[in-house]
Amino acid sequence: MLTSLQLHLAGVFLKIFLRNRQAILFSLFFPLIFIGAFSFSGTSNDPFIIGVTDESRSPFSQEFITNLEQEEIFNLIEGDFESLQSSLIEGDIRGLILIPKNFKDIDNLGALKFYVDASQTRQVNIIQRAIETSLLSVERKIRNIEPLFNLQLEDVKARPQRYIDFLLPGLLAFMIMNLSIAGSGFNIVEYRRRGILKRLFVTPIKPKDFITSIVLARMLIVLVQLSVVLSIALFVLDITIIGSYLSFYLTVILGTFIFLCIGFALGSLAKTQEGIRPIVGLVTFPQVILSGVFFPISSMPEIVQPIVYSLPLSSVVSSLREIANDGVSFMAFSTSTIGVLIWVLISFVIATRFFVWKEVAK
Amino acid sequence: MDILKVEDLQKSYVSPETKENFKAVDGISFCLQEIQIYGILGPNGAGKTTTLEMIEGLTDIDGGCATVDGVDVSSDPYAVKQIIGVQLQSNEYFDSLSLEELLKLFGKLYGNETNAKALLEKVDLVEKIHAKPEELSGGQKQRFSIACALVNEPKVLFLDEPTTGLDPQAKHNLWDLIKELNQSGMTIMLTTHNMEEAETLCHNVAIMNKGKIIAEGKPDDLIEKYDTSEDEKGNLENVFLYLTGKELFD
Repeated sequence: MLTSLQLHLAGVFLKIFLRNRQAILFSLFFPLIFIGAFSFSGTSNDPFIIGVTDESRSPFSQEFITNLEQEEIFNLIEGDFESLQSSLIEGDIRGLILIPKNFKDIDNLGALKFYVDASQTRQVNIIQRAIETSLLSVERKIRNIEPLFNLQLEDVKARPQRYIDFLLPGLLAFMIMNLSIAGSGFNIVEYRRRGILKRLFVTPIKPKDFITSIVLARMLIVLVQLSVVLSIALFVLDITIIGSYLSFYLTVILGTFIFLCIGFALGSLAKTQEGIRPIVGLVTFPQVILSGVFFPISSMPEIVQPIVYSLPLSSVVSSLREIANDGVSFMAFSTSTIGVLIWVLISFVIATRFFVWKEVAK
Repeated sequence: MDILKVEDLQKSYVSPETKENFKAVDGISFCLQEIQIYGILGPNGAGKTTTLEMIEGLTDIDGGCATVDGVDVSSDPYAVKQIIGVQLQSNEYFDSLSLEELLKLFGKLYGNETNAKALLEKVDLVEKIHAKPEELSGGQKQRFSIACALVNEPKVLFLDEPTTGLDPQAKHNLWDLIKELNQSGMTIMLTTHNMEEAETLCHNVAIMNKGKIIAEGKPDDLIEKYDTSEDEKGNLENVFLYLTGKELFD
């Protein structure tokens, strides 16, 4: 259990933090950026602006254009070919459909031409498919046939879930990682460089007590920051957390603990403030990309999935997401929860085992 | 009675430049009696600080042993730390804490409740009780770090070059403080390269060079033995130069 020394030291670290106005400002600034990111990602996609040049002016082409206009993903602009082409090059429109003069004779139908900027491949696919669907329904009308197949989308989860609901747990985990590693790693390097740690080390304090107390203080700070972001997300962006808050916060606390300990370990590796930045980048950057913060890990190549799943950030992200999106309880001890617990152990052991009090003598 | 015993103490480092092992401390032995001031004299790089850090439990001991009040440093460093007070060469503290808060914090590390006011009175800083260390002058800072080293009422007080960088007034003021502490019963071990300091304060000195103790004794005895200069009244500086040579140490 916590000793009175650990509590006293934690209080001292909180006091140091609260007296540092710059740190407080920075700590508020950080979550605010995240809230900004939330609110932007919450809006639905804007429709694609597509240019149409109709050279045939036939009933077919009119039918086709009316059909396209009904597609929600398109915003059509009609105009002459030259001006629309330059709009496309300048990036004002996403694509340009040219309906040729001979788009009227059913036996000799001229091919439609679709001009795009090929660097936007992902969007091109979506647009192309929508155009083909429109063409298909025009064709059916002409040939007077009913569609044979019908596809109806059913949400099995039976609850409204948007990308933002998926994203929030990921972003929170990402925030936990950044705030925690910065909170422990950067501080520790500075304390060591200035000889403050060495001064502590000549007293009978043990690394375990020192680390526990910084972790306690930092954890409180991170929890406050996180709660600010979470409450704004809940009330402003109308996010729902399906699982219990107890499970959610338990995971948040363990996640914070993991990254604080990793911060300590990194802080022991680095000798200077300049030295720790690239080391922290090396550890955090790949995790941000790989750990399913922005998209599900299952969409990655199967061969890397086992490695990716075993990253600390992945465990925390998956755990938080299970609780927030699927209502899984912490006490269910799912694979990702167990992953979190394993990382708690690993990170504490490396943080205390390799803790360096003073700079190595030259 | 010997409160501190050092026998055949050794420490080697790998030099980052030559990649060769060199002996920073090369088998030194000495004893410290209670209520004594013992000084280690030596040029830069002689191994003074390394010796102190090994006794303080800051640096692992490669060979030999050190005991403080009968407790072996290698086998029970935490028990030794509990009974010693240490002032390091660098004395930086956590930001934005007052002297009082820092002293209370250091007391906690030993499991004590600290009377910050009484300690600051001892080092003549009581009017600075709410000041922060960065607001203190050089001499005040040194006195404050001695106050920090006294929070656990140590059996031995270690001072590493306590007066380096101080102006003459501050230096003499600190000497007075060290003498007072000694007169009130404190055993003190200090390192210095200031010969006047050693002569003024120390009952016994050891002169270290290249990791070895090359002479040990009372300052007066050493002067009598080694001072070959023509001066009427000999001094420890001449002894030092005679023993360590006059070339520069980098």
